[in-house]
Amino acid sequence: MLYELSTLKKKFGDRVVLDISSLSLEARKVYALIGPNGAGKTTLLNHLAFLDQPTAGEIRFQNEAVAYDQRNLVQLRRQVVLVDQTPILFSGSVWKNVEFGLRVRGVPRKDRAIRISTALERVGMSGFAGADSHGLSGGEVKRVALARALVLEPEVLLCDEPTANVDQQNQEVILKILEHANSMQNTSVIFSTHYLSQSRRLAHQTVLLQNGALSFDSNENTFDVVITQERAGYKCLCLDNTENQRLGEVETSRLEKGSARIRLIPSRIILHVSEDSRPNNIPSHTGTVRKIAIENNAVRIIVDVGIELSVVMSIPRYREQPPLVGQQVGVEIPDKAVIVV
Amino acid sequence: MLLDSLKSAFLLLVSLDPELFEIVGVSLNVSFFSTLAAAIIGLPLGFVVAFHSFAGKRFTLTCLNTLLALPTVVIGLVVYSLISRRGVLGPLELLYTQKAIIIGQVILIIPLITTLTIAAISKIDNRYRNTALTLGANQRQIAWVIFREARYGIVAAIIAAFGRVIAEVGISMMLGGNAKGFTRTMTTAMALEYDKGEFILAVALGMILMTCAFAINMVFHFFQGRIKTDAV
Repeated sequence: MLYELSTLKKKFGDRVVLDISSLSLEARKVYALIGPNGAGKTTLLNHLAFLDQPTAGEIRFQNEAVAYDQRNLVQLRRQVVLVDQTPILFSGSVWKNVEFGLRVRGVPRKDRAIRISTALERVGMSGFAGADSHGLSGGEVKRVALARALVLEPEVLLCDEPTANVDQQNQEVILKILEHANSMQNTSVIFSTHYLSQSRRLAHQTVLLQNGALSFDSNENTFDVVITQERAGYKCLCLDNTENQRLGEVETSRLEKGSARIRLIPSRIILHVSEDSRPNNIPSHTGTVRKIAIENNAVRIIVDVGIELSVVMSIPRYREQPPLVGQQVGVEIPDKAVIVV
Repeated sequence: MLLDSLKSAFLLLVSLDPELFEIVGVSLNVSFFSTLAAAIIGLPLGFVVAFHSFAGKRFTLTCLNTLLALPTVVIGLVVYSLISRRGVLGPLELLYTQKAIIIGQVILIIPLITTLTIAAISKIDNRYRNTALTLGANQRQIAWVIFREARYGIVAAIIAAFGRVIAEVGISMMLGGNAKGFTRTMTTAMALEYDKGEFILAVALGMILMTCAFAINMVFHFFQGRIKTDAV
């Protein structure tokens, strides 16, 4: 395991800004930290980068408890690099900036030159090697900061809102850099973002933070419902107590009569593209395909069944019977897709 | 009379009068070494105070700021009591030497260099430190990064200190003794010439001193400008 956090708490004065009972992060994966402003994303990243010490609790890195003494911290930090939300470049050239981490590690000059050239090429900044770092645009600064981190070939790359305050073109470049770092360099990537779309596209797993604590409420396929009828094991769920917004009948054994907050797991919802494939004996919903996107070797389909449901299916399954945007499809919500939150 | 003095002083400058340039040489020599010594002590001191949190930091800053107002005659008196024949350092026979002036001037400008260094380092964005940390730098390497980013402010501190010592008269007079060819600086020579009623050399030295001050201020403002440009 790459990181294991247990009963981690960080306080600033009396204010608890981070309170994580348990969190495990695996190596060579991409994790997205999602949460509103003030949720604790940056504080968590600072802890994962060993730049901050928790008030209480423990962080284990590569199965060893982190000891907060200077010598040990320098060694740990040399495996993990954090790219700040608004990175700052040292005065001097772009080349000197990218070189910094290699110099402090005592990498020979000849090796440094090769690695710096490769890193700058990867972020599309080869032409800026000799440029003054203080003359770059926001997007360019972020790319140089990424090159400065990636040139070190870290075990873990932490990015605090890597696409914040940059234009669409630079956003795409940055996301591709992160994808490449994970897929080609086997670097574990942990990044914070406000965009669920980025998390879906890049992350193997999404960590949700709210008020400093882990949250399982992604607001994706999460609904406040009331059970209004029950028939042969199936329960009819209505959204927000409103009879007008019926989610329809859902097979679930986990719900008692009354109100509940449920989440429908996107990968467990079944789509029936053709009429023939719809089971006769199981209630299903009919919806219209609104959006189809590829993310993390899977296909995400947004289906409008009166409300928008997110459905994830594997690429092979998608290829068997691919739905089209605008097409009417059947949506089956089995018992295992429903979680009470 | 002033115009006549100015004219004569200008001619003295143009004629490259050896006595005049000897005095200027002593002044520059003493000021250079006192600034160098004070920088060697004051810069690391300022760095330590700015970089670290410790009990009594605020008190230390208050003391340093108070020392900025220390009169040169007070320093002259204290150092005199130490290096005079009956003083603790009397056997070293420092009194009325350039070294004595340097000691006094070092005491004068250490607080100036230290406080200006603290101000320069405190202005440096904390992200520089965190960036250096996350890129794997150790404490010494981080210190170098901060020092480098604060370099214009630090150079400005040194220039300000040099300007302070080259223009001071109290310490040079009390500890140097204004000995011709040895400890006669521009300011002490001007004071002497004034006492004698001989204004020509005094005015010529004044012109050189003002030129030095102007040059120092030009360099100081150049570096101050660089700080502001960097801050933007």
